[in-house]
Amino acid sequence: MKVKVNMAYKPQYGPGTSKVAENRRKQMNPNQKLEKMRDVTDEDIVLILGHRAPGAAYPTAHPPLAEQQEPDCPIRKIVTPTDGAKAGDRVRYIQFTDSMFFAPCHPYQRTYTECYRFRGIDPGTLSGRQIVECRERDLEKYSKELVNTEILDAARTGIRGATVHGHSLRLAENGMMFDMLQRSVLGEDGVVRYVKNQIGEPLDRAVAIGKPLDEKWLKAHTTIFHSLGDVAYRDDKEYIEYVQRIHSLRTKYGFLPKEA
Amino acid sequence: MAKIERTQKLFLKSLKEKFQGQDVQSETTEFYKFNGYHQSPRKEEFVKASRAVEMDRGISMYDPVRCHLGGIPLGQRQLMTYEVSGTGVFVEGDDLHFVNNSAMQQMWDDIRRTVIVGMDLAHQTLQKRLGKEVTPETINEYLHVLNHAMPGAAVVQEHMVETHPGLVDDCYVKVFTGDQELADDLEPQFVLDVEKLFPAKQAQALSAAVGKSLWQAIHIPTTVSRTCDGGTTSRWSAMQIGMSFIAAYRMCAGEAAVADLSYAAKHAGVVQMASHLPARRARGPNEPGGIMFGVFSDIVQANRKYPNDPARASLEVVGAGTMLFDQIWLGSYMSGGVGFTQYATAAYTDNILDEYTYYGMDYIKDKYKVDWRNPSPSDKVKPTQEIVNDIATEVCLNGMEQYEQFPTLMEDHFGGSQRAGVLAAACGLSGSIATGNSNAGLNAWYLCMLLHKDGWSRLGFFGYDLQDQCGSANSLSIRGDEGAIGEVRGPNYPNYAMNVGHQGEYAAIVGGAHYGRGDAFCFDPRVKICFADPALKFDFAEPRREFAKGAIREFMPAGERSLIIPAR
Repeated sequence: MKVKVNMAYKPQYGPGTSKVAENRRKQMNPNQKLEKMRDVTDEDIVLILGHRAPGAAYPTAHPPLAEQQEPDCPIRKIVTPTDGAKAGDRVRYIQFTDSMFFAPCHPYQRTYTECYRFRGIDPGTLSGRQIVECRERDLEKYSKELVNTEILDAARTGIRGATVHGHSLRLAENGMMFDMLQRSVLGEDGVVRYVKNQIGEPLDRAVAIGKPLDEKWLKAHTTIFHSLGDVAYRDDKEYIEYVQRIHSLRTKYGFLPKEA
Repeated sequence: MAKIERTQKLFLKSLKEKFQGQDVQSETTEFYKFNGYHQSPRKEEFVKASRAVEMDRGISMYDPVRCHLGGIPLGQRQLMTYEVSGTGVFVEGDDLHFVNNSAMQQMWDDIRRTVIVGMDLAHQTLQKRLGKEVTPETINEYLHVLNHAMPGAAVVQEHMVETHPGLVDDCYVKVFTGDQELADDLEPQFVLDVEKLFPAKQAQALSAAVGKSLWQAIHIPTTVSRTCDGGTTSRWSAMQIGMSFIAAYRMCAGEAAVADLSYAAKHAGVVQMASHLPARRARGPNEPGGIMFGVFSDIVQANRKYPNDPARASLEVVGAGTMLFDQIWLGSYMSGGVGFTQYATAAYTDNILDEYTYYGMDYIKDKYKVDWRNPSPSDKVKPTQEIVNDIATEVCLNGMEQYEQFPTLMEDHFGGSQRAGVLAAACGLSGSIATGNSNAGLNAWYLCMLLHKDGWSRLGFFGYDLQDQCGSANSLSIRGDEGAIGEVRGPNYPNYAMNVGHQGEYAAIVGGAHYGRGDAFCFDPRVKICFADPALKFDFAEPRREFAKGAIREFMPAGERSLIIPAR
């Protein structure tokens, strides 16, 4: 079977005429560069993740692919393994909690964005958290992009492996999203620092992730429709009609499964 | 869709009580200063009780400081009280777990220990095969004998053990019929009088549906069905029925005609409250997973008490249904633990679903001229896709906006599954009450789910990915194993079998379709009549009020063992 290289399909990255819809499309589109907002180092990312000590070798789940007998599989010939898969890394994770008060990214949006931008990932999407799992060295590379770019806000995005409660709560008076474990704290200098890793183990040293973004910026860049933000959901009529259309078509096909 | 004005916010009183002294529309608050679990009187009580247990048994128990997150106890944020919707009663969240709430236990006990058994087959056997005379007098005598035997007393044998009446005081049998003349000839203590129990229009419809048949509404002892299971109910009842016929009609205990009576009581004439589940569920009949939604909406009696408020009637089904299907069925039978309670209670606390549903009522009245306060089939809207989409969209958007504009409301329903269930329930109820069509209501539910997910880029827990994102396609399907009319779907319908936060609401959507039409029953008139019985321990016309009574420890259940255990 030949694989068709030049697909006629051109991704549209979702409907909508509003700013929120536009923000969503920008995050998803891998041809659009995400704005860099901070510079958290490789070592600091490893500390927050908490999967291995900085500088330690990557533990492996299997020998490097080059050293093990690969079965004669047509799929393996088509798919180029990621660096982590080649090396036989373990599958590890990063998990985020996004405040509904105008955090830049939100669970399904994260999943869609990651699927368009990263390879070899397994995202899971819930209301209060979104996890993405992949090979460890790939994870560290992807995490750096997820943490350092415009899809994270230091106050309203949390990196939380467990006890994620907070996405829907009112904000603390200093603007921080609630975190029962207070993994990150806002310093008097206005900088947010992680003092615990994502599962709540205290870090030997704090990891600074910069200052929270201001309210105006957040409302202009968020990907959640919100009637107290810049765009109420009902105001993006194209978006609503798109969802209604999907629902109607699914309903009709379920009732009488044949093409129109 | 077009937003309508509704100044009344039914949830405001609750929010102001829960978040006292705070602006319920503020986007900020304080955390980490509430002294952990000490802010909850109930959790303090738990600690004290646990210390006594530990001293008594020498094994450690409840220790929220040491065991929760390695030293960070619950209560870093404000632990909220809850108002049981429609009651004005504020309770601790813990008291809405069924282990801590005797009313919740009794509601399920009262369903599981109930079967309805026809008398007509037995009377034919007695008359035609044995030549016995059956008259109101003989039926009265039989019912006397049966009410002696059903709790566990001997009627034919010598030297038999019997049960203590003080332990089985909740067990009895009544009868009902659509033949008012016959009903009037029977002793009132044994009769569920349809004319007296139901509003006239409903009574007329129920009597017509039941006709001249005579049915026994049987409730075996709570203790028995708890010690055994739902499958026991028909067996226990059939045994006592058989013995009572032998005694009352002076039959030979061993004659072959007894087998006919037994067959009628065990199989041919039995209405179980729930059907037998597949082997993989390992449950017999009369267990929660087998209750059809139409039957459940008949078990709940709120439409009998509030015939002119189909929204209220449906909301009572939501409360009863989420408690049974989420907290007990999925939460404990199928899973185990405590987390499911938090999902379920969202639908029957703080008047939030109530507010969203009544917004839907205002909307269908304003836009489609549905006079929902006077339920009737005549003004129901044609369930077109366009109209269902319109109702669901507006009710969903309104609910989302309420959550946005009242941050304490969002904080109250802090989990996406809670919000998803409540928003979709309001849409489903609005759709079904407007159209009188349960599948149209289910269809509205699924559009709400899709809208919600796309608007906030989040929905519920993982399970919502399956059930709700493919639900549109099965909402109007009626092919075997892929769909059915709402009335005959149930918790074990393939796509519904795994997901908390849905089944109670689905049952209410089915009920709403009929309550909105002013129907006397949804699926089975016999079930509707059976649970109208004021002698039942649990009042099925007011499930939420009963749960509130249970939470504040004012509900008196059955099946207590104090008679046979040492006094404390």
